Amino acid sequence: MLKRNTRLRMEYLYRKSLEGKEREYYEKKRKIREALEEGKPIPTELRNEEAALRQEIDLEDEYTAVQKTHIDDEYATASEKDPKILLTTSREPSQRLGQFVKVCFCTLPIVIFHLELKLVFPNAARMNRGSQVISEIIEFCRAHEYTDVIFVHEHRGEPDNLVICHLPFGPTAFFELLNVVTRHDIKDKKAMGTMSEAYPHLILDNFSSKLGQRTANILKHLFPVPKPETKRIITFANKSDYISFRHHVYEKHGGPKSVELKEVGPRFELRLYQIILGTVDQQNEAQKEWVLRPYMNTAKKQNVLGA
Amino acid sequence: MAAAVEMEKEEESPMKKGEEALERLRSADPPLYLTQSSEFARDARAASCFLFSSLVPFCTKLPVDRLLVEGFDAEQIWYQIDLLSRPLLSTVRREFKRLEEEHHSRAGLSTIDADGDGEEMVVEKDEISVDDEGDEEDGDESEEKGSEDEEDGEEDDEDDGEADEEEEEEEEAGEAKGNVVEDKFLKMQDLENYLENAEAKEYGHPVKKGSGRKEKDDDTEEEEDDMDLEDFDSDGDEDAELGANARYEDFFGGNKKKQQKKCGTVGKRKRSSTELDAVDHFENTDEDVEKNDSEQKLLSTHEKELQKMRSKIEEMEKANLDPKSWTMQGEVTAAKRPKNSALEVDLDFEHNVRPAPVITEEVTASLEDIIKKRIIEGHFDDVERAPILPSKPPKETKEMDENKSKKGLAEIYEEEYAQKTGLAPALLSASDKLKTEATMLFKKISLKLDALSHFHFAPKPVIEDMSIQVNVPALAMEEVAPLAVSDAAMLAPEEIFHGKGNIKEEAELTKEERKRRRANQKRRFRRLKAETFKRAVQKTGQSAVPGATNEKPDS
Repeated sequence: MLKRNTRLRMEYLYRKSLEGKEREYYEKKRKIREALEEGKPIPTELRNEEAALRQEIDLEDEYTAVQKTHIDDEYATASEKDPKILLTTSREPSQRLGQFVKVCFCTLPIVIFHLELKLVFPNAARMNRGSQVISEIIEFCRAHEYTDVIFVHEHRGEPDNLVICHLPFGPTAFFELLNVVTRHDIKDKKAMGTMSEAYPHLILDNFSSKLGQRTANILKHLFPVPKPETKRIITFANKSDYISFRHHVYEKHGGPKSVELKEVGPRFELRLYQIILGTVDQQNEAQKEWVLRPYMNTAKKQNVLGA
Repeated sequence: MAAAVEMEKEEESPMKKGEEALERLRSADPPLYLTQSSEFARDARAASCFLFSSLVPFCTKLPVDRLLVEGFDAEQIWYQIDLLSRPLLSTVRREFKRLEEEHHSRAGLSTIDADGDGEEMVVEKDEISVDDEGDEEDGDESEEKGSEDEEDGEEDDEDDGEADEEEEEEEEAGEAKGNVVEDKFLKMQDLENYLENAEAKEYGHPVKKGSGRKEKDDDTEEEEDDMDLEDFDSDGDEDAELGANARYEDFFGGNKKKQQKKCGTVGKRKRSSTELDAVDHFENTDEDVEKNDSEQKLLSTHEKELQKMRSKIEEMEKANLDPKSWTMQGEVTAAKRPKNSALEVDLDFEHNVRPAPVITEEVTASLEDIIKKRIIEGHFDDVERAPILPSKPPKETKEMDENKSKKGLAEIYEEEYAQKTGLAPALLSASDKLKTEATMLFKKISLKLDALSHFHFAPKPVIEDMSIQVNVPALAMEEVAPLAVSDAAMLAPEEIFHGKGNIKEEAELTKEERKRRRANQKRRFRRLKAETFKRAVQKTGQSAVPGATNEKPDS
């Protein structure tokens, strides 16, 4: 099992390393294809290789024409299988527990948040962290065929960090949590009622750059394919690198154009600070796809996730 | 009483002795000084003691309060006298100058007397100056004379000091009159004096010196331990000073000194010993003078500003010299600054990070607008299922044969039963044929692959055929032998041998059998020969050999 895993990972890495060359190839073919379609002369730098490439173009079908990246490898089965999520926290999340009873334990914001998040994600399983090591957790998840693990970290009871790890050697995204407002705080439990657990629609707004697309992908694949007529909406809206998470339930009362939104569920801001191409336990060894650089002089001007 | 009287006498006697000694020295002829007489020397010592002790009260800061004469060298005695005389000389000179100026200011009162006194003073000063020069050359004796003259000069000073006091009283009175008009700059008395002087100059009268020439005192006071002779101010010098180098001190320096002198004179009145305080004052350095001034707080604004500037400058210079505080040093590690000091300082960073957005109502409203718009459009970013690739081949649809089957049902069952039990061979349909062919091919291939890849070889599958094999040895049917052995080896020798009967060797044959074999050979040979002859005759058509007929040879 171990050997197999390492072999799979090596294959994945190898394919990833070939991507550079493949991309070049793909670009060349694309140029030739365009030139042929438009009837323009083929660009001069491709003249030598034109014949061979043309042959390949002819042989291509719809699947081989598209360039496959490691992203596709990571999320290859995502469209076929529903995601299965494991939610857990950092170690011993309630250090100010002391002699408190379980009821009190439940009122700590981090735990509340944890519970609420479980309701947000369909197909999510919650696990108490206790003192488990991360590598153990990952192994367990692999064995039980989970697709994603989400860690919620805290500071003095307030949730401040979110780690989303996609499992079969998938990417790990690290987010910072800000302005967390739990359902608990917004209204009483009685007023809220139970949360709908249907598969939600998703709105991902303003993820226009490449990195934005990547993040959108990661967030998107936490949710399963919904039915078209669900009333539950989850929004990730990006504004100057701060992603707002909102959870609404809507109703169309008076005809198709009028929509009433009712906010349900926690509300927080996410701020991405790292993506690594590996799982959480490979945090030190895996390649970093992107890291936030806040001390650059132009950091203020940059909008990394789009627009 | 007698003891007291004796005590007084004893006290007086050293004094008297000293005086007597002094008298003797005075009356002595000059040649006597050059002789070496012990009596004279004793007298000289006593006189110097007396003079010293008489001058001691006028001088402070003396290490010795009386002259130590017994057993001391001339050099040592001279040094002691020197200790006393130097400060005294400078103070006396100052006093002279002051008195001179004040004396001249009293023009209207007692001019003749003042002039006379002034002349006397001038004469005495000259004497002193001469004596000073003399002292440097000679020994004790000349010094005594100098000290004697000092004493005289001091007595004169005392007189003049009293006169000064009177002067200053008058001046103060005068000031009180004109207070409305007067201030630091303008003094009525000075103005009058100046006018008189100007008139005098114009009309050739002797010039009376007005007040306000006190700056000379400043200049001279600064030269404390100077043994050089100073040029006492003459009229011409004063005029030159006024006209060409008019300075601040001309206007305000005098005020300082005047005030100081007032204090000094006040002190004088209080104390019995007149010169002592003046000496004390004039022994002060400029710093002391300034200190007094600052205490009195009568400075002009300009001077105050100057003082402030000076103090600021001093502070800044001091700060520059000191090592800087840790906040001003460049890169400071925790070891170089005091503990927890970074917490107390308000550290200022430039944050290059956009701050977290504050979620206001507007923000939520805008978000909700976006969401509503999307819902109305129906444009969501959900995960979509990819179309599944067809991995299974299309199913075979068996076509139903609608003709009536020719076989009866019972027959069909019979055939099935027969196939199952194995009585009747299975009928191969076309598809079955193909299938079997395919399976055969596949089995061959897989056999080869297995042979290549597996350690454990699986042998060929046994194909059961009903065909009869001719030359299979009997044993092969029963015996299981390794395949490496060939069939040829399996056959028994008799089964291979094609011959008949009992076979004998040449050696084994009997005589009759040999004869019989030979006879057979001969017959065979003859027959062969005849046949070939016949053929040859037939070919040619004639008998070639004469005598040979177509008779048959004897058999």
